Amino acid sequence: MTTETVLAEIGDLIREVLDGYDLGAVPITPDTSFDADLAFESIDLVVLGTLLTERYGPGIDVAGFLSTRTLPEIITLRVGDLAGYVTARLEHA
Amino acid sequence: MSRFLIVVPPLTGHLTPLRPVAARLAARGHHVVWAGMGPWLRERLGPTAEVHDCVPASFTVGEREPGLRGLAALRFLVEDFLLPLATAMLPGLRAAIVRHRPDVVVADQQAWAGAYAAAEAGLPWATSASTSAELLDPYPPALHDWLSGCLAAIAHPRPVADPRLSPHLILAFTTPELTGPAIAAPASVRWVGPAPQDDPGAWTPPWPARRPLVLVTLGTQSTETGARFLRACAEALAARPELHAVIVDPGGVVGPCPENIHVTPWVPQQAVLKRAGLVICHAGHNTVTESLWHGRPLVVAPIRDDQMIVAGQVVSAGAGVRLRFAHATAAHIGAAVDTIHSDPGYAHAAARIRTAFHAAGGADEAVTHLESLARSTTLIPEATR
Repeated sequence: MTTETVLAEIGDLIREVLDGYDLGAVPITPDTSFDADLAFESIDLVVLGTLLTERYGPGIDVAGFLSTRTLPEIITLRVGDLAGYVTARLEHA
Repeated sequence: MSRFLIVVPPLTGHLTPLRPVAARLAARGHHVVWAGMGPWLRERLGPTAEVHDCVPASFTVGEREPGLRGLAALRFLVEDFLLPLATAMLPGLRAAIVRHRPDVVVADQQAWAGAYAAAEAGLPWATSASTSAELLDPYPPALHDWLSGCLAAIAHPRPVADPRLSPHLILAFTTPELTGPAIAAPASVRWVGPAPQDDPGAWTPPWPARRPLVLVTLGTQSTETGARFLRACAEALAARPELHAVIVDPGGVVGPCPENIHVTPWVPQQAVLKRAGLVICHAGHNTVTESLWHGRPLVVAPIRDDQMIVAGQVVSAGAGVRLRFAHATAAHIGAAVDTIHSDPGYAHAAARIRTAFHAAGGADEAVTHLESLARSTTLIPEATR
Protein backbone atom coordinates (compact mmCIF):
# COMPACT_ATOMS: atom_id res chain seq x y z
CA MET A 1 0.00 0.00 0.00
CA THR A 2 1.42 3.38 -0.94
CA THR A 3 1.89 6.31 1.43
CA GLU A 4 -0.57 8.27 -0.73
CA THR A 5 -3.30 5.69 -0.17
CA VAL A 6 -2.61 5.54 3.54
CA LEU A 7 -2.58 9.33 3.68
CA ALA A 8 -5.99 9.54 2.02
CA GLU A 9 -7.43 6.93 4.38
CA ILE A 10 -5.98 8.68 7.44
CA GLY A 11 -7.60 11.87 6.15
CA ASP A 12 -10.98 10.09 6.08
CA LEU A 13 -10.44 8.75 9.61
CA ILE A 14 -9.48 12.25 10.87
CA ARG A 15 -12.77 13.59 9.48
CA GLU A 16 -14.51 10.74 11.28
CA VAL A 17 -12.82 11.72 14.56
CA LEU A 18 -13.88 15.36 14.01
CA ASP A 19 -17.42 14.07 13.53
CA GLY A 20 -19.80 16.87 12.61
CA TYR A 21 -17.10 19.53 12.43
CA ASP A 22 -16.48 20.51 8.86
CA LEU A 23 -12.88 21.39 8.15
CA GLY A 24 -14.22 23.27 5.14
CA ALA A 25 -11.81 23.70 2.31
CA VAL A 26 -8.80 22.88 4.49
CA PRO A 27 -7.04 19.94 2.83
CA ILE A 28 -5.38 17.29 4.97
CA THR A 29 -1.81 16.99 3.70
CA PRO A 30 1.36 15.38 5.09
CA ASP A 31 2.22 18.83 6.50
CA THR A 32 -1.03 19.21 8.44
CA SER A 33 -0.26 19.51 12.16
CA PHE A 34 -2.54 17.67 14.58
CA ASP A 35 -2.06 20.29 17.29
CA ALA A 36 -1.86 23.59 15.40
CA ASP A 37 -3.99 22.90 12.30
CA LEU A 38 -6.57 20.36 13.45
CA ALA A 39 -6.72 21.44 17.14
CA PHE A 40 -6.64 17.76 18.05
CA GLU A 41 -7.04 17.01 21.73
CA SER A 42 -5.08 14.18 23.33
CA ILE A 43 -8.18 11.98 23.41
CA ASP A 44 -8.59 12.50 19.66
CA LEU A 45 -5.21 10.87 18.99
CA VAL A 46 -6.31 7.91 21.11
CA VAL A 47 -9.53 7.61 19.11
CA LEU A 48 -7.65 7.94 15.82
CA GLY A 49 -5.25 5.22 16.99
CA THR A 50 -8.17 2.89 17.69
CA LEU A 51 -9.63 3.56 14.23
CA LEU A 52 -6.25 2.90 12.59
CA THR A 53 -5.89 -0.41 14.42
CA GLU A 54 -9.40 -1.40 13.31
CA ARG A 55 -8.54 -0.50 9.73
CA TYR A 56 -5.04 -1.95 9.44
CA GLY A 57 -4.86 -4.59 12.16
CA PRO A 58 -3.14 -5.00 15.53
CA GLY A 59 0.30 -4.27 14.02
CA ILE A 60 -0.65 -0.58 14.14
CA ASP A 61 -0.03 0.63 17.70
CA VAL A 62 -0.35 4.41 17.77
CA ALA A 63 -0.06 4.57 21.57
CA GLY A 64 3.24 2.67 21.32
CA PHE A 65 4.37 4.94 18.49
CA LEU A 66 3.58 8.04 20.56
CA SER A 67 5.27 6.67 23.68
CA THR A 68 8.64 6.79 21.89
CA ARG A 69 8.20 10.51 21.20
CA THR A 70 9.08 13.46 23.39
CA LEU A 71 6.54 16.15 24.17
CA PRO A 72 7.96 18.60 21.56
CA GLU A 73 7.74 15.82 18.98
CA ILE A 74 4.13 15.10 19.88
CA ILE A 75 3.29 18.82 19.72
CA THR A 76 4.70 19.09 16.21
CA LEU A 77 3.33 15.74 15.02
CA ARG A 78 2.08 15.94 11.44
CA VAL A 79 -0.26 13.73 9.46
CA GLY A 80 2.70 12.70 7.29
CA ASP A 81 4.55 11.33 10.38
CA LEU A 82 1.64 9.06 11.20
CA ALA A 83 1.17 8.02 7.56
CA GLY A 84 4.88 7.17 7.43
CA TYR A 85 4.61 5.06 10.56
CA VAL A 86 1.58 3.15 9.26
CA THR A 87 3.20 2.56 5.85
CA ALA A 88 6.41 1.27 7.44
CA ARG A 89 4.50 -1.07 9.75
CA LEU A 90 2.45 -2.44 6.86
CA GLU A 91 5.63 -3.13 4.86
CA HIS A 92 7.13 -5.09 7.73
CA ALA A 93 3.96 -7.02 8.46
CA MET B 1 -4.55 31.57 66.80
CA SER B 2 -2.36 30.19 64.02
CA ARG B 3 -0.26 31.78 61.35
CA PHE B 4 -0.87 31.02 57.65
CA LEU B 5 1.28 31.93 54.65
CA ILE B 6 -0.68 31.73 51.39
CA VAL B 7 1.45 31.42 48.24
CA VAL B 8 -0.09 32.20 44.85
CA PRO B 9 1.08 32.73 41.26
CA PRO B 10 0.01 35.96 39.52
CA LEU B 11 -2.99 34.28 37.87
CA THR B 12 -6.43 35.72 38.60
CA GLY B 13 -8.33 32.45 38.68
CA HIS B 14 -5.98 31.04 41.33
CA LEU B 15 -6.76 33.86 43.73
CA THR B 16 -10.51 33.36 43.43
CA PRO B 17 -11.13 30.38 45.76
CA LEU B 18 -8.50 31.46 48.30
CA ARG B 19 -9.90 34.94 48.98
CA PRO B 20 -12.99 33.76 50.90
CA VAL B 21 -10.83 31.17 52.71
CA ALA B 22 -8.37 33.87 53.80
CA ALA B 23 -11.24 36.13 54.87
CA ARG B 24 -12.65 33.40 57.14
CA LEU B 25 -9.24 32.56 58.58
CA ALA B 26 -8.77 36.22 59.49
CA ALA B 27 -12.30 36.45 60.90
CA ARG B 28 -11.51 33.53 63.22
CA GLY B 29 -8.49 35.38 64.57
CA HIS B 30 -5.75 33.76 62.52
CA HIS B 31 -2.86 35.69 61.05
CA VAL B 32 -2.77 35.56 57.24
CA VAL B 33 0.06 36.71 54.97
CA TRP B 34 -0.08 36.48 51.18
CA ALA B 35 3.12 35.71 49.29
CA GLY B 36 3.57 36.23 45.56
CA MET B 37 4.01 39.05 43.11
CA GLY B 38 3.64 42.02 45.46
CA PRO B 39 2.22 44.83 43.29
CA TRP B 40 -0.14 42.39 41.53
CA LEU B 41 -1.43 41.06 44.86
CA ARG B 42 -1.83 44.51 46.46
CA GLU B 43 -3.84 45.75 43.47
CA ARG B 44 -6.31 42.89 43.89
CA LEU B 45 -6.40 42.38 47.66
CA GLY B 46 -6.45 46.05 48.68
CA PRO B 47 -4.56 47.93 51.38
CA THR B 48 -5.74 45.82 54.34
CA ALA B 49 -4.11 42.57 53.17
CA GLU B 50 -0.64 41.74 54.44
CA VAL B 51 1.49 40.96 51.39
CA HIS B 52 5.03 39.61 51.21
CA ASP B 53 6.54 40.30 47.81
CA CYS B 54 8.69 37.34 46.84
CA VAL B 55 8.92 37.78 43.09
CA PRO B 56 11.94 39.88 42.06
CA ALA B 57 11.10 42.94 39.97
CA SER B 58 13.42 41.52 37.32
CA PHE B 59 11.14 38.50 36.81
CA THR B 60 9.23 38.75 33.55
CA VAL B 61 7.47 36.18 31.46
CA GLY B 62 6.43 36.27 27.87
CA GLU B 63 2.72 36.27 27.29
CA ARG B 64 1.40 33.09 25.80
CA GLU B 65 0.71 33.67 22.13
CA PRO B 66 -3.03 34.18 21.78
CA GLY B 67 -3.34 31.30 19.34
CA LEU B 68 -1.50 28.83 21.54
CA ARG B 69 -3.65 25.83 22.38
CA GLY B 70 -3.36 22.22 23.33
CA LEU B 71 -0.05 20.65 24.26
CA ALA B 72 1.99 23.59 22.99
CA ALA B 73 0.14 25.84 25.45
CA LEU B 74 0.72 23.39 28.29
CA ARG B 75 4.41 23.18 27.50
CA PHE B 76 4.71 26.96 27.51
CA LEU B 77 2.83 27.20 30.82
CA VAL B 78 5.13 24.75 32.59
CA GLU B 79 8.53 25.40 30.99
CA ASP B 80 8.29 29.12 30.37
CA PHE B 81 6.13 30.22 33.27
CA LEU B 82 5.65 27.87 36.23
CA LEU B 83 9.22 26.60 36.45
CA PRO B 84 10.89 30.04 36.18
CA LEU B 85 8.30 31.39 38.62
CA ALA B 86 9.09 28.67 41.19
CA THR B 87 12.81 29.35 40.88
CA ALA B 88 12.31 33.10 41.18
CA MET B 89 10.00 32.86 44.20
CA LEU B 90 12.02 30.43 46.29
CA PRO B 91 14.56 32.82 47.90
CA GLY B 92 11.86 35.35 48.77
CA LEU B 93 9.66 32.62 50.22
CA ARG B 94 12.45 31.38 52.47
CA ALA B 95 12.75 34.94 53.77
CA ALA B 96 8.96 35.14 54.21
CA ILE B 97 8.98 31.99 56.34
CA VAL B 98 11.78 33.33 58.55
CA ARG B 99 10.01 36.65 58.95
CA HIS B 100 6.39 35.59 59.40
CA ARG B 101 6.97 32.17 61.10
CA PRO B 102 3.85 30.49 59.65
CA ASP B 103 2.39 27.35 61.21
CA VAL B 104 1.06 26.26 57.82
CA VAL B 105 1.95 27.18 54.24
CA VAL B 106 -0.96 27.13 51.78
CA ALA B 107 0.47 26.77 48.29
CA ASP B 108 -1.62 27.13 45.17
CA GLN B 109 -1.19 24.08 42.98
CA GLN B 110 0.84 26.11 40.48
CA ALA B 111 2.93 27.99 43.07
CA TRP B 112 5.41 25.14 43.43
CA ALA B 113 7.93 27.21 45.39
CA GLY B 114 5.49 27.22 48.31
CA ALA B 115 5.73 23.45 48.64
CA TYR B 116 9.54 23.44 48.43
CA ALA B 117 10.03 26.29 50.91
CA ALA B 118 7.62 24.72 53.41
CA ALA B 119 9.22 21.28 53.15
CA GLU B 120 12.69 22.77 53.60
CA ALA B 121 11.52 24.49 56.78
CA GLY B 122 9.81 21.34 58.04
CA LEU B 123 6.40 23.02 57.94
CA PRO B 124 3.09 21.41 57.06
CA TRP B 125 1.77 22.65 53.75
CA ALA B 126 -1.56 22.46 52.03
CA THR B 127 -2.25 22.47 48.31
CA SER B 128 -4.97 24.77 47.05
CA ALA B 129 -6.22 22.98 43.96
CA SER B 130 -7.61 25.82 41.88
CA THR B 131 -8.68 23.15 39.40
CA SER B 132 -9.37 19.47 39.93
CA ALA B 133 -7.72 18.35 36.68
CA GLU B 134 -4.42 17.26 38.17
CA LEU B 135 -5.86 15.45 41.19
CA LEU B 136 -6.71 12.39 39.16
CA ASP B 137 -3.38 12.26 37.26
CA PRO B 138 -4.89 12.39 33.81
CA TYR B 139 -1.67 12.75 31.87
CA PRO B 140 -0.69 10.07 29.37
CA PRO B 141 2.80 8.55 29.90
CA ALA B 142 4.71 10.91 27.61
CA LEU B 143 3.26 13.95 29.38
CA HIS B 144 3.76 12.46 32.81
CA ASP B 145 7.44 11.73 32.11
CA TRP B 146 7.99 15.20 30.73
CA LEU B 147 6.39 16.85 33.78
CA SER B 148 8.35 14.66 36.20
CA GLY B 149 11.53 15.71 34.41
CA CYS B 150 10.58 19.37 34.71
CA LEU B 151 9.87 19.04 38.44
CA ALA B 152 13.07 17.09 39.02
CA ALA B 153 14.98 20.07 37.66
CA ILE B 154 13.95 22.16 40.67
CA ALA B 155 13.14 19.44 43.16
CA HIS B 156 16.60 18.12 43.87
CA PRO B 157 17.61 17.85 46.69
CA ARG B 158 14.50 19.14 48.40
CA PRO B 159 12.23 16.56 50.02
CA VAL B 160 9.05 17.08 48.04
CA ALA B 161 7.57 14.21 46.07
CA ASP B 162 5.25 16.39 44.01
CA PRO B 163 4.76 20.12 44.69
CA ARG B 164 1.29 19.92 43.12
CA LEU B 165 -0.01 17.40 45.66
CA SER B 166 0.55 17.89 49.38
CA PRO B 167 0.58 14.67 51.41
CA HIS B 168 -0.87 16.69 54.32
CA LEU B 169 -3.91 18.39 52.82
CA ILE B 170 -5.25 19.15 49.36
CA LEU B 171 -8.21 21.52 49.19
CA ALA B 172 -10.33 20.63 46.16
CA PHE B 173 -12.92 23.32 45.44
CA THR B 174 -15.30 20.85 43.83
CA THR B 175 -16.85 17.47 44.69
CA PRO B 176 -16.89 13.97 43.16
CA GLU B 177 -20.42 14.62 41.85
CA LEU B 178 -18.63 16.71 39.20
CA THR B 179 -15.18 15.15 39.00
CA GLY B 180 -16.31 11.55 38.93
CA PRO B 181 -15.29 8.87 41.42
CA ALA B 182 -12.70 10.16 43.90
CA ILE B 183 -11.07 6.77 44.24
CA ALA B 184 -8.08 7.71 42.07
CA ALA B 185 -7.37 10.93 43.95
CA PRO B 186 -4.67 11.21 46.64
CA ALA B 187 -5.80 10.33 50.17
CA SER B 188 -5.08 13.88 51.35
CA VAL B 189 -7.78 15.44 49.13
CA ARG B 190 -10.66 17.12 50.94
CA TRP B 191 -13.62 17.91 48.69
CA VAL B 192 -14.73 21.24 50.17
CA GLY B 193 -16.74 22.37 47.14
CA PRO B 194 -16.67 25.84 45.56
CA ALA B 195 -16.01 28.89 47.73
CA PRO B 196 -18.16 31.67 46.22
CA GLN B 197 -17.11 35.27 46.65
CA ASP B 198 -18.53 36.93 49.72
CA ASP B 199 -19.87 39.85 47.69
CA PRO B 200 -21.67 38.57 44.57
CA GLY B 201 -22.36 42.10 43.34
CA ALA B 202 -25.61 43.28 41.80
CA TRP B 203 -26.86 43.15 38.24
CA THR B 204 -29.88 44.73 36.59
CA PRO B 205 -30.89 43.20 33.25
CA PRO B 206 -31.04 45.75 30.43
CA TRP B 207 -34.38 44.34 29.20
CA PRO B 208 -37.80 45.13 30.70
CA ALA B 209 -39.32 41.71 29.85
CA ARG B 210 -37.99 38.43 31.16
CA ARG B 211 -36.85 35.66 28.81
CA PRO B 212 -34.51 32.68 29.32
CA LEU B 213 -31.02 34.11 29.80
CA VAL B 214 -27.78 32.73 28.36
CA LEU B 215 -24.42 33.88 29.77
CA VAL B 216 -21.43 33.68 27.43
CA THR B 217 -17.99 34.09 28.99
CA LEU B 218 -14.45 32.95 28.27
CA GLY B 219 -13.16 33.93 31.70
CA THR B 220 -10.28 36.18 32.57
CA GLN B 221 -7.95 35.01 29.79
CA SER B 222 -8.44 34.29 26.13
CA THR B 223 -9.39 37.78 24.92
CA GLU B 224 -8.05 37.54 21.40
CA THR B 225 -8.16 33.75 21.17
CA GLY B 226 -11.89 33.92 21.70
CA ALA B 227 -12.86 36.47 19.04
CA ARG B 228 -14.03 33.97 16.44
CA PHE B 229 -15.87 31.84 19.01
CA LEU B 230 -17.61 34.84 20.65
CA ARG B 231 -18.79 36.12 17.28
CA ALA B 232 -20.14 32.66 16.46
CA CYS B 233 -22.00 32.70 19.81
CA ALA B 234 -23.44 36.13 18.97
CA GLU B 235 -24.61 34.85 15.58
CA ALA B 236 -26.24 31.77 17.11
CA LEU B 237 -28.01 33.77 19.82
CA ALA B 238 -29.06 36.56 17.44
CA ALA B 239 -30.99 33.88 15.53
CA ARG B 240 -32.87 32.98 18.76
CA PRO B 241 -34.81 36.16 19.68
CA GLU B 242 -36.84 34.16 22.23
CA LEU B 243 -33.68 34.19 24.38
CA HIS B 244 -31.75 36.93 26.12
CA ALA B 245 -27.97 36.73 26.18
CA VAL B 246 -25.14 38.46 28.00
CA ILE B 247 -21.80 38.16 26.19
CA VAL B 248 -18.74 39.07 28.23
CA ASP B 249 -16.38 40.67 25.72
CA PRO B 250 -13.39 42.33 27.43
CA GLY B 251 -11.58 42.74 24.12
CA GLY B 252 -14.46 44.46 22.30
CA VAL B 253 -14.35 41.93 19.48
CA VAL B 254 -18.02 41.01 19.04
CA GLY B 255 -19.40 44.06 17.21
CA PRO B 256 -23.04 45.21 16.88
CA CYS B 257 -25.78 42.80 18.04
CA PRO B 258 -29.59 42.82 18.03
CA GLU B 259 -31.45 43.97 21.15
CA ASN B 260 -31.77 40.51 22.70
CA ILE B 261 -27.97 40.37 23.14
CA HIS B 262 -26.16 42.52 25.70
CA VAL B 263 -22.41 42.78 25.03
CA THR B 264 -20.32 44.05 27.93
CA PRO B 265 -16.63 44.05 28.91
CA TRP B 266 -17.37 42.78 32.43
CA VAL B 267 -20.25 41.51 34.55
CA PRO B 268 -20.64 40.62 38.24
CA GLN B 269 -20.70 36.96 37.23
CA GLN B 270 -22.34 35.53 40.35
CA ALA B 271 -25.17 38.06 40.14
CA VAL B 272 -25.80 37.22 36.47
CA LEU B 273 -25.65 33.49 37.24
CA LYS B 274 -28.57 33.92 39.64
CA ARG B 275 -30.71 34.88 36.64
CA ALA B 276 -29.12 32.80 33.86
CA GLY B 277 -30.55 29.49 32.65
CA LEU B 278 -27.54 28.35 30.69
CA VAL B 279 -23.83 29.21 30.50
CA ILE B 280 -21.58 28.98 27.44
CA CYS B 281 -17.92 29.02 28.48
CA HIS B 282 -14.37 27.73 28.01
CA ALA B 283 -14.63 25.19 30.87
CA GLY B 284 -12.41 27.22 33.20
CA HIS B 285 -12.71 25.61 36.62
CA ASN B 286 -13.98 28.71 38.41
CA THR B 287 -16.64 29.51 35.81
CA VAL B 288 -17.83 25.90 35.69
CA THR B 289 -18.07 25.48 39.45
CA GLU B 290 -19.71 28.90 39.92
CA SER B 291 -22.28 28.01 37.25
CA LEU B 292 -23.01 24.65 38.84
CA TRP B 293 -23.13 26.28 42.29
CA HIS B 294 -26.23 28.01 40.84
CA GLY B 295 -27.38 24.79 39.18
CA ARG B 296 -26.88 26.08 35.63
CA PRO B 297 -26.17 23.59 32.81
CA LEU B 298 -23.32 24.42 30.46
CA VAL B 299 -22.10 24.44 26.91
CA VAL B 300 -18.34 23.98 27.25
CA ALA B 301 -15.74 24.71 24.56
CA PRO B 302 -12.36 24.11 26.24
CA ILE B 303 -9.36 26.00 24.86
CA ARG B 304 -6.36 24.48 26.68
CA ASP B 305 -4.76 23.08 29.83
CA ASP B 306 -7.11 21.73 32.48
CA GLN B 307 -10.14 23.00 30.59
CA MET B 308 -10.13 19.84 28.47
CA ILE B 309 -10.47 17.71 31.59
CA VAL B 310 -13.02 19.95 33.30
CA ALA B 311 -15.12 19.90 30.10
CA GLY B 312 -14.98 16.11 30.18
CA GLN B 313 -16.22 16.16 33.77
CA VAL B 314 -19.20 18.36 32.83
CA VAL B 315 -20.19 15.99 30.04
CA SER B 316 -19.69 12.82 32.12
CA ALA B 317 -21.79 14.32 34.91
CA GLY B 318 -24.57 14.98 32.39
CA ALA B 319 -24.57 18.71 33.12
CA GLY B 320 -23.64 19.99 29.69
CA VAL B 321 -22.67 19.65 26.06
CA ARG B 322 -19.11 19.91 24.75
CA LEU B 323 -18.03 21.73 21.61
CA ARG B 324 -14.72 21.97 19.79
CA PHE B 325 -13.50 25.50 20.47
CA ALA B 326 -11.38 25.71 17.35
CA HIS B 327 -14.02 24.44 14.94
CA ALA B 328 -17.42 25.30 16.43
CA THR B 329 -19.60 27.46 14.20
CA ALA B 330 -22.83 29.31 15.01
CA ALA B 331 -24.70 26.21 13.85
CA HIS B 332 -22.90 23.98 16.40
CA ILE B 333 -23.38 26.49 19.20
CA GLY B 334 -27.04 27.04 18.41
CA ALA B 335 -27.68 23.29 18.27
CA ALA B 336 -25.99 22.83 21.66
CA VAL B 337 -28.14 25.59 23.19
CA ASP B 338 -31.29 24.02 21.73
CA THR B 339 -30.28 20.56 23.01
CA ILE B 340 -29.92 21.79 26.57
CA HIS B 341 -33.15 23.81 26.44
CA SER B 342 -35.12 20.86 25.07
CA ASP B 343 -33.79 18.16 27.42
CA PRO B 344 -34.43 18.81 31.13
CA GLY B 345 -31.90 16.09 32.01
CA TYR B 346 -29.07 18.63 31.76
CA ALA B 347 -30.68 21.02 34.24
CA HIS B 348 -31.49 18.11 36.55
CA ALA B 349 -27.86 16.94 36.54
CA ALA B 350 -26.70 20.50 37.21
CA ALA B 351 -29.18 20.74 40.10
CA ARG B 352 -27.80 17.49 41.60
CA ILE B 353 -24.28 18.94 41.53
CA ARG B 354 -25.57 22.18 43.02
CA THR B 355 -26.99 20.24 45.97
CA ALA B 356 -23.67 18.44 46.53
CA PHE B 357 -21.71 21.70 46.24
CA HIS B 358 -23.89 23.47 48.81
CA ALA B 359 -23.53 20.53 51.22
CA ALA B 360 -19.72 20.39 50.90
CA GLY B 361 -19.06 23.38 53.15
CA GLY B 362 -16.95 25.62 50.91
CA ALA B 363 -14.59 28.10 52.56
CA ASP B 364 -15.78 27.20 56.08
CA GLU B 365 -14.92 23.55 55.51
CA ALA B 366 -11.52 24.55 54.07
CA VAL B 367 -10.82 26.57 57.22
CA THR B 368 -11.74 23.58 59.41
CA HIS B 369 -9.16 21.43 57.62
CA LEU B 370 -6.50 24.16 57.71
CA GLU B 371 -6.99 24.68 61.44
CA SER B 372 -6.72 20.95 61.99
CA LEU B 373 -3.46 20.88 60.02
CA ALA B 374 -2.09 23.79 62.08
CA ARG B 375 -2.84 21.85 65.29
CA SER B 376 -1.34 18.57 64.08
CA THR B 377 1.93 17.61 65.70
CA THR B 378 2.78 14.59 63.62
CA LEU B 379 3.00 15.02 59.88
CA ILE B 380 2.58 12.40 57.23
CA PRO B 381 6.11 12.18 55.84
CA GLU B 382 6.86 13.07 52.27
CA ALA B 383 7.00 10.03 50.04
CA THR B 384 10.07 11.08 48.14
CA ARG B 385 11.07 9.45 44.93
